[in-house]
Amino acid sequence: MLARVVHLLPLELKTLLERLPDHMQEQLEEIRIREGRPLEIGFRGQSRFMMVDGSLRQAADGAYKPSADTCRKLLERITNYSLYAMEEELKRGFITVSGGHRIGLAGRTILDGGMVRGIRDIGAFNIRVAREVIGASALLLPKLIDRNRKTLHSTLILAPPQQGKTTLVRDIARSVSYGLWPTLEASSWQGRKVGIVDERSEIAACVRGIPTFDVGPRTDVMDACPKAEGMMMLVRSMSPEVLIIDEIGRPEDGEAIREASHAGISVVATAHAYDLQDARGRPVLLKLLEEGAFTYVVELKRTEQGVMHRVVPAEAALESAAAREVAAMPRLLPHAVQAWMGRRRADDP
Amino acid sequence: MIKLLGAVLVLFAGTMIGFQQAARFAERPRQLRQLAHALQRLETEIGYGHTPLPEALERTASATPEPLASIFRKAASGVWETESFSFRDSWEQAIRLQWEMTAMKKNEQAVLIRLGSTLGISDKEDQLKHIHLALLQLKSEEDAARDDQGRYEKMWKSLGLLIAVLVVILMV
Repeated sequence: MLARVVHLLPLELKTLLERLPDHMQEQLEEIRIREGRPLEIGFRGQSRFMMVDGSLRQAADGAYKPSADTCRKLLERITNYSLYAMEEELKRGFITVSGGHRIGLAGRTILDGGMVRGIRDIGAFNIRVAREVIGASALLLPKLIDRNRKTLHSTLILAPPQQGKTTLVRDIARSVSYGLWPTLEASSWQGRKVGIVDERSEIAACVRGIPTFDVGPRTDVMDACPKAEGMMMLVRSMSPEVLIIDEIGRPEDGEAIREASHAGISVVATAHAYDLQDARGRPVLLKLLEEGAFTYVVELKRTEQGVMHRVVPAEAALESAAAREVAAMPRLLPHAVQAWMGRRRADDP
Repeated sequence: MIKLLGAVLVLFAGTMIGFQQAARFAERPRQLRQLAHALQRLETEIGYGHTPLPEALERTASATPEPLASIFRKAASGVWETESFSFRDSWEQAIRLQWEMTAMKKNEQAVLIRLGSTLGISDKEDQLKHIHLALLQLKSEEDAARDDQGRYEKMWKSLGLLIAVLVVILMV
């Protein structure tokens, strides 16, 4: 993984990080660079400080501290020597570079009438190494297929952060767009036109409007666009058959999803929620479920064995809520709730 | 006969040296003007085009005559060729390497180097301000250069010949 981001690093940092053993380089998830403070790296959900000799410790004493000059060079490299061309990115607090890697920035903000206009004196960087897991949706996709319309059912994917939601929807977009339906009966179906509204540039990781992840040949991406507006723009201009949106939750998102479903478009959306119960507590999601905007609800859970999913038909999701309110019979809908399915660690997103 | 030939050679050489010096005085304001145009072009690329700096420099170079164009071109390519370089290093090296080829002096070199230490690392307004400042400083250098041109260009043209004549008289 280090090899993917090494071209962004100034020489000093590059030589230091290349001293990491190969398996560590492979598992690298984050590089946190703070000017004049210890260099921290993150891998497999853990973090360590990096010593001057390249070893890793839990304690920060004796760690390598990047100098102001190193940070300046890093900033120049990640902005292509053009901070002035990154105003929008600085307003959002991160830069997406080619390859989908995202670099979070912290420093002193510049305010303009109470609104953040940008960051200057940038003193901290968090390089998050992006990984694309091709085939992450292979087990889930067959359960979401709409046989009548030869496309996907509208689906809501629920999970807490860091569980692989984005990786999953990216792979769904890719498969649907290529027409790589992972079941026998659907293998002759053609690909579908996919529209992605990528408000935070995470799904497609566009650089100057061009996706750097492979999201498929029939995919159009509205990058860095507010979700509700982006959905309406895509529906009007690009006639998508499947719409993919990350992290819905605002009332206007619900409105746009309703519009899209009325137009016969399948919507695959994700939302932050611990589980179904939690999602029902959110008015926007509950209303969408009640109105039947989604056919299926998918819960994701990242375990030791990998990412597990569970598909629940939307009506069942609501009924079980009602059932629970009556405080009776949890066995009411065992047929509707499928068991947790998962993937082995090897290709864990 | 040989004496006469030598005298002619001395006269010729003296005149040429004088003309060459005079040409330097004529060349400097011209190059300063070209440099100002180049920076204005860069200003447009940054301010309106939001063009990334290496590309903006390439475009500026293609619209600027030599020897100035090479400064911009080398500054743009230096950052990729030498990994340990920051933009400031690359810019400074390009200026120092190329300076011999120009007719310009230390003052404008200092202005350019100062500009290089701010290019690319701040927001748009800040960039434009720095380029503006550099342009103002170059303008005053250009005015001074024109004064010098008026004063010394003619003088050097005749001075070369006159010194040659003096040498010939002393030799005879």
